[in-house]
Amino acid sequence: MLVETGTLCRMVVGGTRDAVLAQLRRGTLEYCVLALLRDEERYGFELVKGLSRVEGMVTSEGTIYPLLSRLRRDGLVETTWRESTAGPPRRYYRLTATGKDALDWFAVEWIRFRDAVDLVLEKRIR
Amino acid sequence: MKTDVQAVVDSYIRELERELAALPRSRRREVVDDISAHISEARSETGENESAVRDLLDRLGEPAEIAAEARDHLDVRPSKVGFVEVAAIVLLPIGGIVLPVLGWIVAVILLWVSAAWTTREKAIGTLVVPGGLLPAFLMMFMPVGMETCIGGTNRRGQTVQEVCTGGVSTLEQLGLWALFAVLVIGPIASAIYLGVRLRRRAPVAH
Repeated sequence: MLVETGTLCRMVVGGTRDAVLAQLRRGTLEYCVLALLRDEERYGFELVKGLSRVEGMVTSEGTIYPLLSRLRRDGLVETTWRESTAGPPRRYYRLTATGKDALDWFAVEWIRFRDAVDLVLEKRIR
Repeated sequence: MKTDVQAVVDSYIRELERELAALPRSRRREVVDDISAHISEARSETGENESAVRDLLDRLGEPAEIAAEARDHLDVRPSKVGFVEVAAIVLLPIGGIVLPVLGWIVAVILLWVSAAWTTREKAIGTLVVPGGLLPAFLMMFMPVGMETCIGGTNRRGQTVQEVCTGGVSTLEQLGLWALFAVLVIGPIASAIYLGVRLRRRAPVAH
Protein backbone atom coordinates (compact mmCIF):
# COMPACT_ATOMS: atom_id res chain seq x y z
CA MET A 1 0.00 0.00 0.00
CA LEU A 2 1.28 3.36 -0.96
CA VAL A 3 -1.00 5.40 1.26
CA GLU A 4 -1.68 4.98 4.94
CA THR A 5 -5.01 3.54 5.93
CA GLY A 6 -6.05 6.79 7.57
CA THR A 7 -5.95 8.66 4.29
CA LEU A 8 -7.65 6.03 2.17
CA CYS A 9 -11.07 7.54 2.35
CA ARG A 10 -10.04 11.13 1.94
CA MET A 11 -11.43 12.58 -1.22
CA VAL A 12 -9.15 13.98 -3.87
CA VAL A 13 -9.96 15.24 -7.35
CA GLY A 14 -12.21 12.69 -9.03
CA GLY A 15 -12.44 10.14 -6.24
CA THR A 16 -10.64 8.52 -3.33
CA ARG A 17 -6.87 8.23 -3.37
CA ASP A 18 -7.20 4.49 -3.85
CA ALA A 19 -9.39 5.03 -6.89
CA VAL A 20 -6.89 7.42 -8.43
CA LEU A 21 -4.07 4.90 -8.08
CA ALA A 22 -6.34 2.18 -9.47
CA GLN A 23 -7.01 4.35 -12.52
CA LEU A 24 -3.31 4.95 -13.06
CA ARG A 25 -2.56 1.25 -12.81
CA ARG A 26 -5.46 0.35 -15.05
CA GLY A 27 -4.09 2.39 -17.90
CA THR A 28 -0.47 1.34 -17.61
CA LEU A 29 -0.36 -2.21 -16.28
CA GLU A 30 -1.00 -3.86 -19.63
CA TYR A 31 1.99 -2.12 -21.16
CA CYS A 32 4.14 -3.20 -18.23
CA VAL A 33 3.05 -6.77 -19.00
CA LEU A 34 3.99 -6.27 -22.66
CA ALA A 35 7.34 -4.79 -21.58
CA LEU A 36 8.14 -7.87 -19.48
CA LEU A 37 7.59 -9.96 -22.60
CA ARG A 38 9.71 -7.77 -24.85
CA ASP A 39 12.77 -10.00 -24.90
CA GLU A 40 11.53 -13.37 -23.77
CA GLU A 41 8.43 -15.46 -23.42
CA ARG A 42 7.23 -16.11 -19.90
CA TYR A 43 4.52 -18.12 -18.19
CA GLY A 44 1.77 -16.59 -16.10
CA PHE A 45 3.19 -17.24 -12.65
CA GLU A 46 6.58 -15.87 -13.71
CA LEU A 47 4.98 -12.71 -15.13
CA VAL A 48 2.92 -12.12 -12.01
CA LYS A 49 5.95 -12.56 -9.79
CA GLY A 50 7.93 -10.17 -11.97
CA LEU A 51 5.27 -7.48 -11.69
CA SER A 52 4.76 -8.04 -7.96
CA ARG A 53 8.41 -7.40 -7.27
CA VAL A 54 7.81 -3.79 -8.29
CA GLU A 55 6.24 -2.06 -5.31
CA GLY A 56 2.86 -0.48 -5.95
CA MET A 57 2.44 -1.98 -9.41
CA VAL A 58 -0.12 -4.67 -8.62
CA THR A 59 -2.50 -4.81 -5.69
CA SER A 60 -4.31 -8.04 -6.53
CA GLU A 61 -2.12 -10.45 -8.46
CA GLY A 62 -5.10 -12.47 -9.61
CA THR A 63 -6.38 -9.62 -11.76
CA ILE A 64 -3.40 -10.02 -14.10
CA TYR A 65 -4.86 -13.23 -15.52
CA PRO A 66 -8.03 -11.67 -16.96
CA LEU A 67 -5.76 -8.95 -18.35
CA LEU A 68 -3.50 -11.52 -20.05
CA SER A 69 -6.57 -13.19 -21.45
CA ARG A 70 -7.70 -9.92 -23.02
CA LEU A 71 -4.23 -9.18 -24.43
CA ARG A 72 -4.36 -12.58 -26.09
CA ARG A 73 -7.80 -12.01 -27.58
CA ASP A 74 -6.72 -8.58 -28.79
CA GLY A 75 -3.77 -10.20 -30.56
CA LEU A 76 -1.08 -8.39 -28.57
CA VAL A 77 0.33 -11.61 -27.14
CA GLU A 78 0.13 -15.22 -28.23
CA THR A 79 0.32 -18.29 -26.06
CA THR A 80 1.81 -21.75 -26.30
CA TRP A 81 1.67 -24.63 -23.88
CA ARG A 82 5.03 -26.02 -22.88
CA GLU A 83 5.87 -29.00 -20.75
CA SER A 84 7.30 -28.14 -17.39
CA THR A 85 9.93 -30.12 -15.51
CA ALA A 86 7.91 -29.65 -12.33
CA GLY A 87 4.20 -30.28 -12.62
CA PRO A 88 1.65 -29.72 -15.39
CA PRO A 89 2.30 -27.87 -18.70
CA ARG A 90 2.52 -24.09 -18.54
CA ARG A 91 0.89 -21.49 -20.74
CA TYR A 92 3.67 -19.27 -22.10
CA TYR A 93 3.00 -15.74 -23.36
CA ARG A 94 4.93 -14.16 -26.19
CA LEU A 95 4.69 -10.69 -27.77
CA THR A 96 3.18 -10.54 -31.27
CA ALA A 97 4.18 -7.95 -33.89
CA THR A 98 1.06 -5.97 -32.96
CA GLY A 99 2.03 -6.21 -29.32
CA LYS A 100 5.52 -4.96 -30.07
CA ASP A 101 4.09 -1.98 -31.99
CA ALA A 102 1.74 -1.16 -29.11
CA LEU A 103 4.62 -1.33 -26.64
CA ASP A 104 6.90 0.89 -28.76
CA TRP A 105 4.10 3.41 -29.20
CA PHE A 106 3.34 3.47 -25.47
CA ALA A 107 7.02 3.79 -24.50
CA VAL A 108 7.22 7.03 -26.51
CA GLU A 109 3.84 8.36 -25.36
CA TRP A 110 4.53 7.51 -21.73
CA ILE A 111 7.73 9.56 -21.67
CA ARG A 112 5.93 12.45 -23.33
CA PHE A 113 3.09 12.26 -20.82
CA ARG A 114 5.35 11.76 -17.80
CA ASP A 115 7.46 14.76 -18.81
CA ALA A 116 4.33 16.85 -19.27
CA VAL A 117 3.04 15.97 -15.81
CA ASP A 118 6.46 16.58 -14.26
CA LEU A 119 6.65 19.94 -15.97
CA VAL A 120 3.37 21.05 -14.43
CA LEU A 121 3.97 19.51 -11.01
CA GLU A 122 7.40 21.09 -10.76
CA LYS A 123 5.96 24.45 -11.84
CA ARG A 124 8.37 24.88 -14.67
CA ILE A 125 5.58 26.44 -16.73
CA ARG A 126 3.24 29.22 -15.78
CA MET B 1 -3.09 -30.18 7.93
CA LYS B 2 -2.73 -30.91 4.25
CA THR B 3 -6.47 -31.30 3.84
CA ASP B 4 -7.02 -27.98 5.64
CA VAL B 5 -4.88 -26.20 3.08
CA GLN B 6 -6.69 -27.94 0.23
CA ALA B 7 -10.05 -26.94 1.69
CA VAL B 8 -8.99 -23.29 1.85
CA VAL B 9 -7.89 -23.37 -1.79
CA ASP B 10 -11.02 -25.23 -2.89
CA SER B 11 -13.33 -22.74 -1.26
CA TYR B 12 -11.40 -19.87 -2.87
CA ILE B 13 -11.77 -21.47 -6.32
CA ARG B 14 -15.47 -22.17 -5.73
CA GLU B 15 -16.06 -18.56 -4.77
CA LEU B 16 -14.18 -17.43 -7.86
CA GLU B 17 -16.38 -19.64 -10.04
CA ARG B 18 -19.48 -18.18 -8.43
CA GLU B 19 -18.26 -14.63 -8.99
CA LEU B 20 -17.50 -15.39 -12.62
CA ALA B 21 -20.97 -16.81 -13.24
CA ALA B 22 -21.91 -13.96 -15.57
CA LEU B 23 -19.11 -14.82 -18.03
CA PRO B 24 -19.38 -17.24 -20.95
CA ARG B 25 -18.29 -20.72 -19.88
CA SER B 26 -15.04 -20.84 -21.90
CA ARG B 27 -13.81 -17.55 -20.47
CA ARG B 28 -14.79 -18.50 -16.98
CA ARG B 29 -12.82 -21.75 -17.43
CA GLU B 30 -9.78 -19.87 -18.68
CA VAL B 31 -9.62 -17.54 -15.68
CA VAL B 32 -10.24 -20.36 -13.22
CA ASP B 33 -7.58 -22.56 -14.89
CA ASP B 34 -5.03 -19.74 -14.86
CA ILE B 35 -5.65 -18.96 -11.19
CA SER B 36 -5.56 -22.66 -10.27
CA ALA B 37 -2.25 -23.07 -12.12
CA HIS B 38 -0.88 -20.02 -10.30
CA ILE B 39 -1.88 -21.48 -6.95
CA SER B 40 -0.26 -24.86 -7.65
CA GLU B 41 2.94 -23.22 -8.92
CA ALA B 42 3.12 -21.15 -5.77
CA ARG B 43 2.33 -24.12 -3.54
CA SER B 44 5.08 -26.18 -5.07
CA GLU B 45 7.48 -23.37 -4.14
CA THR B 46 6.31 -22.57 -0.64
CA GLY B 47 5.20 -26.00 0.46
CA GLU B 48 1.92 -26.98 2.07
CA ASN B 49 2.07 -24.53 4.91
CA GLU B 50 -1.31 -23.06 5.75
CA SER B 51 -0.18 -19.52 6.49
CA ALA B 52 1.83 -19.45 3.25
CA VAL B 53 -1.24 -20.53 1.29
CA ARG B 54 -3.43 -17.93 2.99
CA ASP B 55 -0.84 -15.31 2.21
CA LEU B 56 -0.78 -16.49 -1.40
CA LEU B 57 -4.57 -16.17 -1.71
CA ASP B 58 -4.37 -12.77 -0.04
CA ARG B 59 -1.98 -11.57 -2.70
CA LEU B 60 -4.16 -12.97 -5.46
CA GLY B 61 -6.96 -10.77 -4.16
CA GLU B 62 -10.67 -11.15 -3.59
CA PRO B 63 -12.42 -13.42 -6.12
CA ALA B 64 -14.91 -10.58 -6.61
CA GLU B 65 -12.07 -8.28 -7.61
CA ILE B 66 -10.68 -10.74 -10.15
CA ALA B 67 -14.17 -11.29 -11.54
CA ALA B 68 -14.76 -7.54 -11.80
CA GLU B 69 -11.55 -7.24 -13.81
CA ALA B 70 -12.60 -10.12 -16.07
CA ARG B 71 -16.02 -8.60 -16.69
CA ASP B 72 -14.50 -5.21 -17.31
CA HIS B 73 -12.07 -6.52 -19.89
CA LEU B 74 -14.64 -8.67 -21.56
CA ASP B 75 -17.19 -5.88 -21.71
CA VAL B 76 -19.61 -8.12 -19.92
CA ARG B 77 -20.90 -5.69 -17.39
CA PRO B 78 -23.42 -6.80 -14.84
CA SER B 79 -26.76 -5.83 -16.25
CA LYS B 80 -28.52 -2.94 -14.65
CA VAL B 81 -31.43 -3.83 -12.47
CA GLY B 82 -34.33 -2.66 -14.52
CA PHE B 83 -38.05 -3.01 -14.90
CA VAL B 84 -37.81 -6.59 -16.18
CA GLU B 85 -35.96 -7.86 -13.11
CA VAL B 86 -38.22 -6.11 -10.61
CA ALA B 87 -41.35 -7.27 -12.46
CA ALA B 88 -40.07 -10.85 -12.55
CA ILE B 89 -39.33 -10.89 -8.81
CA VAL B 90 -42.73 -9.41 -7.93
CA LEU B 91 -44.78 -11.48 -10.38
CA LEU B 92 -43.13 -14.84 -9.68
CA PRO B 93 -44.88 -15.28 -6.32
CA ILE B 94 -48.12 -13.34 -6.86
CA GLY B 95 -48.55 -13.14 -10.65
CA GLY B 96 -50.33 -16.47 -10.80
CA ILE B 97 -52.92 -15.32 -8.27
CA VAL B 98 -53.56 -11.88 -9.77
CA LEU B 99 -53.95 -13.31 -13.25
CA PRO B 100 -54.53 -17.03 -12.75
CA VAL B 101 -51.64 -19.14 -14.11
CA LEU B 102 -50.95 -16.68 -16.94
CA GLY B 103 -49.43 -14.10 -14.54
CA TRP B 104 -46.90 -16.67 -13.40
CA ILE B 105 -46.05 -17.64 -16.98
CA VAL B 106 -45.39 -13.98 -17.77
CA ALA B 107 -43.09 -13.81 -14.74
CA VAL B 108 -41.16 -16.89 -15.88
CA ILE B 109 -40.72 -15.39 -19.36
CA LEU B 110 -39.38 -12.16 -17.83
CA LEU B 111 -37.06 -14.21 -15.59
CA TRP B 112 -35.55 -16.11 -18.52
CA VAL B 113 -35.37 -13.04 -20.79
CA SER B 114 -33.32 -11.09 -18.25
CA ALA B 115 -29.53 -11.39 -18.46
CA ALA B 116 -29.18 -10.59 -14.77
CA TRP B 117 -29.35 -14.17 -13.51
CA THR B 118 -27.47 -17.36 -14.27
CA THR B 119 -29.26 -20.40 -15.66
CA ARG B 120 -29.09 -22.07 -12.27
CA GLU B 121 -30.71 -19.11 -10.53
CA LYS B 122 -33.41 -18.95 -13.20
CA ALA B 123 -34.12 -22.66 -12.73
CA ILE B 124 -34.50 -22.16 -8.98
CA GLY B 125 -36.83 -19.21 -9.59
CA THR B 126 -38.94 -21.31 -11.93
CA LEU B 127 -39.09 -24.57 -9.96
CA VAL B 128 -39.52 -23.15 -6.46
CA VAL B 129 -42.53 -23.26 -6.69
CA PRO B 130 -44.23 -23.63 -10.10
CA GLY B 131 -47.17 -21.24 -10.07
CA GLY B 132 -45.70 -19.14 -7.28
CA LEU B 133 -48.15 -18.74 -4.41
CA LEU B 134 -51.04 -20.00 -6.56
CA PRO B 135 -50.87 -23.63 -5.34
CA ALA B 136 -50.94 -22.40 -1.72
CA PHE B 137 -53.80 -20.06 -2.57
CA LEU B 138 -55.82 -22.87 -4.17
CA MET B 139 -55.13 -25.11 -1.20
CA MET B 140 -57.00 -22.71 1.08
CA PHE B 141 -60.18 -23.44 -0.86
CA MET B 142 -59.76 -27.16 -0.98
CA PRO B 143 -62.51 -28.95 0.98
CA VAL B 144 -60.05 -30.88 3.10
CA GLY B 145 -60.98 -31.85 6.57
CA MET B 146 -64.66 -31.28 5.94
CA GLU B 147 -66.71 -34.06 7.33
CA THR B 148 -69.87 -35.14 5.56
CA CYS B 149 -72.30 -36.82 7.87
CA ILE B 150 -75.39 -38.70 6.87
CA GLY B 151 -77.86 -39.58 9.54
CA GLY B 152 -79.50 -37.86 12.45
CA THR B 153 -83.19 -38.30 13.16
CA ASN B 154 -85.52 -40.12 10.82
CA ARG B 155 -89.15 -39.30 10.14
CA ARG B 156 -90.39 -41.40 13.02
CA GLY B 157 -88.14 -39.60 15.44
CA GLN B 158 -85.76 -42.51 15.82
CA THR B 159 -82.13 -41.74 16.00
CA VAL B 160 -80.18 -43.24 13.15
CA GLN B 161 -76.47 -43.93 13.45
CA GLU B 162 -74.47 -41.12 11.87
CA VAL B 163 -72.18 -42.13 9.07
CA CYS B 164 -69.42 -39.70 8.48
CA THR B 165 -66.97 -39.66 5.59
CA GLY B 166 -64.25 -37.40 4.33
CA GLY B 167 -62.62 -36.51 7.61
CA VAL B 168 -58.86 -36.54 7.89
CA SER B 169 -56.73 -37.84 10.70
CA THR B 170 -54.56 -35.54 12.79
CA LEU B 171 -51.47 -36.92 11.09
CA GLU B 172 -52.86 -36.15 7.63
CA GLN B 173 -53.84 -32.70 8.81
CA LEU B 174 -50.29 -32.08 10.02
CA GLY B 175 -48.93 -33.20 6.66
CA LEU B 176 -51.26 -30.84 4.84
CA TRP B 177 -50.21 -27.93 7.03
CA ALA B 178 -46.56 -28.72 6.33
CA LEU B 179 -47.25 -28.83 2.60
CA PHE B 180 -49.10 -25.54 2.85
CA ALA B 181 -46.16 -23.98 4.70
CA VAL B 182 -43.74 -25.17 2.01
CA LEU B 183 -45.99 -23.80 -0.74
CA VAL B 184 -46.12 -20.42 1.00
CA ILE B 185 -42.48 -20.14 2.10
CA GLY B 186 -40.98 -21.60 -1.12
CA PRO B 187 -42.06 -18.90 -3.60
CA ILE B 188 -41.31 -16.08 -1.13
CA ALA B 189 -37.86 -17.49 -0.35
CA SER B 190 -36.98 -17.95 -4.02
CA ALA B 191 -38.08 -14.38 -4.82
CA ILE B 192 -35.85 -13.11 -2.00
CA TYR B 193 -33.00 -15.30 -3.30
CA LEU B 194 -33.31 -13.81 -6.79
CA GLY B 195 -33.29 -10.33 -5.29
CA VAL B 196 -30.18 -11.07 -3.24
CA ARG B 197 -28.34 -12.48 -6.29
CA LEU B 198 -29.14 -9.27 -8.16
CA ARG B 199 -27.71 -7.11 -5.39
CA ARG B 200 -24.52 -9.16 -5.25
CA ARG B 201 -23.93 -8.51 -8.91
CA ALA B 202 -24.54 -4.79 -8.72
CA PRO B 203 -21.83 -2.87 -10.59
CA VAL B 204 -18.68 -2.25 -8.59
CA ALA B 205 -17.73 1.40 -8.51
CA HIS B 206 -14.18 2.12 -9.62
